[in-house]
Amino acid sequence: MNSPFPSPAAGQFGRRLKRERGARLPVTVITGFLGAGKTTLLKRFLTTAEGQGTAVVVNEFGATGIDDVLVRPSADETVLLGNGCLCCITRTDLQQALRRMVIERERGELPDFRRIVIETSGLADPSPILQTFATDRALGGVFHVEAVVTVVDAVTGGDTLAWSAEARKQAILADRLIITKTDIAGEGASTALAARLRALNPGAEIHEAINGEIDPACLAEPASDQRNAFVAETAHSDGIGSFVLEIDEPLPWPVFAKAMDALMQLRGPDLLRVKGFLNVKDCKGPVVVQFVQHLAHPPVELEHWPDRNRRSRVVFITRNILEPQVRGLLAALQNLI
Amino acid sequence: MSAANNPLNKSGEPVTWNFKLLAQNDLGGFGGMGEGMSVQIAKDGRRIIWLAHESAPKNFTGVDVSDPRNPKVVVQTDLPKPYMRSNSLELSGDIMAVAYQTQKVNQQPAGLELFDVSVPEKPRSISFLDCSGANSRGVHQLWFCDGEYVHMAAGSPDFEPSHPLDDQFYRCIDVRNPAKPVEVGRWWMPGTKKGETPLTRHKLDKGYRAHNTNVYKQRKDRLYLCYIDGGMFVMDITDKSKPKPISHWTNSPPYTGFMHTAVPLFDRGLLIVTDESTENKAEDWPKLVWIVDARDEKSLVSIATCPLPPVDAYANRGGRFGAHNIHENPPVPTAWQSDQIVIGTFFNGGLRAYDISNPYQPKEVGTFVPPPPKGTPAGAVQLNDVFVDERQIVYTVDRHTGGLYTLEMDF
Repeated sequence: MNSPFPSPAAGQFGRRLKRERGARLPVTVITGFLGAGKTTLLKRFLTTAEGQGTAVVVNEFGATGIDDVLVRPSADETVLLGNGCLCCITRTDLQQALRRMVIERERGELPDFRRIVIETSGLADPSPILQTFATDRALGGVFHVEAVVTVVDAVTGGDTLAWSAEARKQAILADRLIITKTDIAGEGASTALAARLRALNPGAEIHEAINGEIDPACLAEPASDQRNAFVAETAHSDGIGSFVLEIDEPLPWPVFAKAMDALMQLRGPDLLRVKGFLNVKDCKGPVVVQFVQHLAHPPVELEHWPDRNRRSRVVFITRNILEPQVRGLLAALQNLI
Repeated sequence: MSAANNPLNKSGEPVTWNFKLLAQNDLGGFGGMGEGMSVQIAKDGRRIIWLAHESAPKNFTGVDVSDPRNPKVVVQTDLPKPYMRSNSLELSGDIMAVAYQTQKVNQQPAGLELFDVSVPEKPRSISFLDCSGANSRGVHQLWFCDGEYVHMAAGSPDFEPSHPLDDQFYRCIDVRNPAKPVEVGRWWMPGTKKGETPLTRHKLDKGYRAHNTNVYKQRKDRLYLCYIDGGMFVMDITDKSKPKPISHWTNSPPYTGFMHTAVPLFDRGLLIVTDESTENKAEDWPKLVWIVDARDEKSLVSIATCPLPPVDAYANRGGRFGAHNIHENPPVPTAWQSDQIVIGTFFNGGLRAYDISNPYQPKEVGTFVPPPPKGTPAGAVQLNDVFVDERQIVYTVDRHTGGLYTLEMDF
C-alpha cells in the first residue's frame, strides 16, 4: 500500500492476521437441491448456542419453512427469529440485501448479528454467491465465506446427482457435504451416496445428519485449510476437475499474481474456485489466496503457519484446465520476472 | 425498526465480538478501578498486574495473572485517608510510583510515593514526595517507564493557579535515587498561573490542567502532554529543566474539551489522541479517539476518528459513554507494542479495538461490552482503562465494581 504512514510491522499485504477472516463477519453458504433438508438443518442450528446471533438470508423467491420460529413479523423483509437471530428473505439482489443489513446493524436498527448463513435456492449455482464476496468493492471487506455446505439427501440425492449438472456443481464446490435422511433411505444408500460424493469432491468433509441433528460446528466453523492437501487430481463429468498445486520453494508474489491474472483473463469462467496457502517470498506467514472465476479475493497474510509444512498448496477446481497448464504458466513467468 | 424497539439493543446488552473473555475478578469486592495498570514479572517468575483504584478506601491491588484464566489477588492496600485517591500508578522494574490526589486543596497526604514491590505480597515504601499545598490537590496522573524520571500531572505548594481547576501542571521528578525524589523541571500552560492573562473557559469548564504525560525511549527528548481543556502539546524536554512547547493541537471548541492521552506512533508519523467523556447520558457527546498526522511535529493535522456506535443506542444505558484510555504502548518489556491496532475503553461503550492500517479509515475489529457488573451504581459497565501485555493478553477494568477482565484478541 502506498501510504504516507507505512508501518514496519505490516507485511506486503497489510496487517498480518491471526486467521483468514480477520475481523470480517463469517458467512456460511448452504446449498442443496429442493427437499434435501437445508431448512431442517438450519432450524436446528438456530436453536444451538453456536447459532445465536445468526442472520439468515434466504436467497430465493417465496421461501417458506422457517417462519414457525419467528417471534414477530416485520413490515420489511427482515424478521427476528427466536434466539436473537434474524432472517432476511431477499427478493432482490443478494449484495444489496447484505449491504442494507450492515448499514442497519451499524445504525442499531438490526440486532448485532455475528454470522450470516445464506440458504440458497435449490437450483442455485453457488458460484455467483461466492463471487459476491470476492472483492472489497463488493462485500469482501465486510464478510468472509468460511464454508460452503452442500446438503444431499440419501433418498434421492444419488439420482439428482446423476441428472443435474447444478447438483454436481454444488457438491464439487462444497467445503462440507452433509448427507440427510439416512434413517429413511434404504440400506446401503448413504454408503453409496458417500462414495459418489467422495468421487466428485475428494477433499470435502462428509457428515451425516438425522432430522437435522448435526454438530453445529459444521455451520459455524471455517473449513479446514488443510483438507485438500492429499487430494489427487480428479476429473468429473462436465469437464470439471480439481487438483492441488503444491510448490516447495517460496514463490515471488508477482509470478503467482501475473499467472492468476492471465488465467482469469483467458479462462475466468472455467476457474470455478481456487483457494489455498501460498509461501510467498519475504513473507513471514502463509498468504491465503482465493479466486472465483474472474474475481480475486484480496490476499491475506497470516501471522503464523498452522504447522511445519511450508509448501504452497492451492486447490484448483476448474473446467478443462489441467495442472500441467498452470505449472507451465508459472514456470514461464518465473523465467520472465 | 428503531434502536429503541430492537430487543437486542436493550440496556446492558452484552457484546463480545472478536475478543474472548478469559476471566473476571471483582478484586474482593473492591472492583472500582482507576487508570493505572502496569505488569511486573516478579523474581519468582510470577506475572503481577498492578492496578490503581478509582477512589478510597483501597490504594492499589496486585493480581497474579500468570494464568490469565485464573487471576488471583496477591495484595491489596488501603489509603490512609478517606478523602484520598490513587488513580494512577506505573512500574519500572521492581519500583512502583503511585499518585496521591486529595478531594480538596490543602489536604494531606497528597503527592508521589515510591514502593519497592520486589516481594509483591509486601510492598515497601521507599520515599514520599509531598505535593500538597494551599492550592494543590496533589498528583492525578504519572508516567514512569525508564526507572529514572517520573513525569506527572501534579500541583505544588509553590504554585498558585489563576483558576482553582487549573492546579495540576507538568512536573518532572528525578528518581534515580528513589530514596530522594527531586523535581528537575516543570511547565504550565501559559495563562494558568495567577497573574498571567487568564484563559477563556470552556462551556463545560473542566479546567486547564495536565493529564497524561507520556515520554518514550524512542524520543527521550519529547513529552506528549495532554492538558484537558487546553488540548495537547508536543514538548521538547531535551533540557528537562526547561520544557518548551513545539506544537499545540486542540479540538475544542467546537468540541467540549477534556483531552486526555496522546500516544505517538513514531514509525508511522501518527499520534493517537483521546478525549475523556466525563458526563453521564453522553451529555458531552461526542468524545472520541482522534488520529492525528504528526509527520511534521510542528504541524499536527487531524485526519480521522475511530468510529463509535450510534449514541442513541448507548446514551441511556447508564453512566458515561465515550472515549477515555487507550493502550499506550508503554516502552517496557511487558507491554505489547502495536502501531496498527488501537484498543480503547469507552465506559458503557466497553472495550473496542480499531485497525488503523489505513489511518484515514480506522475500522472497528473487536468489541467487548460486558453485562453490568454486580452492584454497579451506574447501571451499566464503565470500562475505564486497558493494558495489553507482550503475550497479547488484554486487561481492562471497570470504574465502579467490575474489577478486572482478562481477554484474548481474536482478529
